[in-house]
Amino acid sequence: MALLEIRNARREFVTPEGTRLAALDGIDLDIGANEFVTLLGPSGCGKTTLLRAIAGFETLDSGTLALDGNDISTQPPHRRPVNTVFQSYALFSHMTVARNVGYALEVRSVERQVREHAVAEVLEKVGLSGMGTRRPNQLSGGQRQRVALARAIIGKPRLLLLDEPLSALDRNLRQQMQLELKTLQNTLGIAFVFVTHDQEEALTMSDRIVVMRAGKIEQIGSPRQIYRHPKSRFVAEFIGETNLFTVTIDRIDGSHALAHTADGLELILPAGNCKPGGNVQVVLRPADFSISDQGIAATVTKAVYLGSDLHLFVQPTVGGPEISITARDSAQAPQPGSKVHLAYDPAAPHVLETA
Amino acid sequence: MRNPLGWAALTLFSLVFFLFIYAPLLVIIGYSFNSNPVNMMQWEHFTFDWYRGLLGLGERAADPNNRAVYVESTEKMLAALRTSLMVAGLSTTISTVIGTATAIALARYRFRAKGFYNGFLMLPMMMPDIVLGIGLLIFFVTVGIHLSMLTIIIGHCTFLSSYVFIIVQARIAGLDPALEEASADLGASEWVTLRKVLLPQLAPGILGGALLAFVISMDDLVITYFVAGTDNTTLPVFIFGMVRRGVKPEINAIATLMILTSVLIAALGLWLRSRKAD
Repeated sequence: MALLEIRNARREFVTPEGTRLAALDGIDLDIGANEFVTLLGPSGCGKTTLLRAIAGFETLDSGTLALDGNDISTQPPHRRPVNTVFQSYALFSHMTVARNVGYALEVRSVERQVREHAVAEVLEKVGLSGMGTRRPNQLSGGQRQRVALARAIIGKPRLLLLDEPLSALDRNLRQQMQLELKTLQNTLGIAFVFVTHDQEEALTMSDRIVVMRAGKIEQIGSPRQIYRHPKSRFVAEFIGETNLFTVTIDRIDGSHALAHTADGLELILPAGNCKPGGNVQVVLRPADFSISDQGIAATVTKAVYLGSDLHLFVQPTVGGPEISITARDSAQAPQPGSKVHLAYDPAAPHVLETA
Repeated sequence: MRNPLGWAALTLFSLVFFLFIYAPLLVIIGYSFNSNPVNMMQWEHFTFDWYRGLLGLGERAADPNNRAVYVESTEKMLAALRTSLMVAGLSTTISTVIGTATAIALARYRFRAKGFYNGFLMLPMMMPDIVLGIGLLIFFVTVGIHLSMLTIIIGHCTFLSSYVFIIVQARIAGLDPALEEASADLGASEWVTLRKVLLPQLAPGILGGALLAFVISMDDLVITYFVAGTDNTTLPVFIFGMVRRGVKPEINAIATLMILTSVLIAALGLWLRSRKAD
């Protein structure tokens, strides 16, 4: 049995214009104990509403939320054994760091000595030992983030909910916190549900990613599955840089299929379920291409320097949209205007199941 | 900066502006130390006599020259001051509770005709005092409530609640709703959240509202005049009565003390605010 079972969760909002908007449109999701699940999607896809429904800040119009088999969907937030790290951190500015962190124990009337001990322990865990007497506004953004985290884990919740907690941090700190969060989740043994619109963040930390769109779940899978085998064009384009080709299958040759685009660009794909004459959509990631002596003839139009790599935009000679590829930067790297040939592993192209 | 002449003109204008505002107060404070009892606009010499007289320490009462003594009864004035302080204290307390509770209810709960309530709460502030005073008087007489200190307190609460409401509402509007959610999320019931998070976060606003309500209550003349009845007199009503029989030197001393009190209350408010901001 999963730790949290969400069944057919529905929630509608009425917009100021009076139209009904389904923020959650029949969500089914299981979250396992000790799992790091990320809810990923563009703004307005319902990911935050789902998180708030689990925490109890939103009530479902219909559907159930079962934690360890007990329906919690009618319980008020303060009775649910889940804690939240808020996007704004929501630290209590009138309390010291130590009192903030110990708040969950304070409202449960835990004895002061036990509480102080627990606070010191959890502050050490998040790397803030000795900061207990400070006020939240004397801390840096990253430190506040850690206080919010410490405050949410001190009560040993079954499930920790994180609402875009890293969005306010700068890039270096964010990457460091991503790794720390993952490590912390492993040591604590608590399931994490993490909401983000940042696909890189989702790929870095998650055991499973739930891609949401317009109140529905578009795809659930491991980061690799989501990246390599997106089910739909939406997922493919939302996760990472994508070259998308609409092709017509010419013929099947053993395990490969030969196909061409409307512009006459010829591609080899894994045969899969392809049938001759059928139209399919094919995903090729920028890193799938390499520059070679033969293959697709093209001209480099633009080169973006990324440090160790170059991001190149190349125009196939036969026409059609530009292809984006990555290449190692070196003295011999192609410049805008260079004629190149693009090769790729015939197993690399991914054929979308749906349009 | 590029135009020194314009800059000088602006500076001069500002100085004249402040002079215009503060000169009357400075004149009052100055003359409160003038010993001339007959023509207070004519400087005689420095004296604390008027203050002594106010506090009932006056040797002037026994002055052999029998120069006029204007505060007919120090006791009456002190009684008026006591009434004022009690009215201000009680009506501030009551209206702070009502104003704060209303602000929280309107900000945090959904119910019908919310906008209507919001506008309705502003009305007592906008309404001319004289209309409110007459209205209250007619109401008390119709309902048959004897005019007393109670009616003054009720009268003050009607409009002081609005002032507290507006100030607390501004504070709530700037508060992150996630704070209360975080408290609930960590296991606190609504009552505990109110006590441990919401009220402490609103404290500067509540305190500011209460101080303003206190000062306004101490200062109110028009409404009190209508609903005070005959037995109770607040300080402003008492002073008004004195002035009707001519401006006397003690008035300057009373006014100076009132200015001092207001400044102290304002300073207290600012100090508390700066302490909260740490």
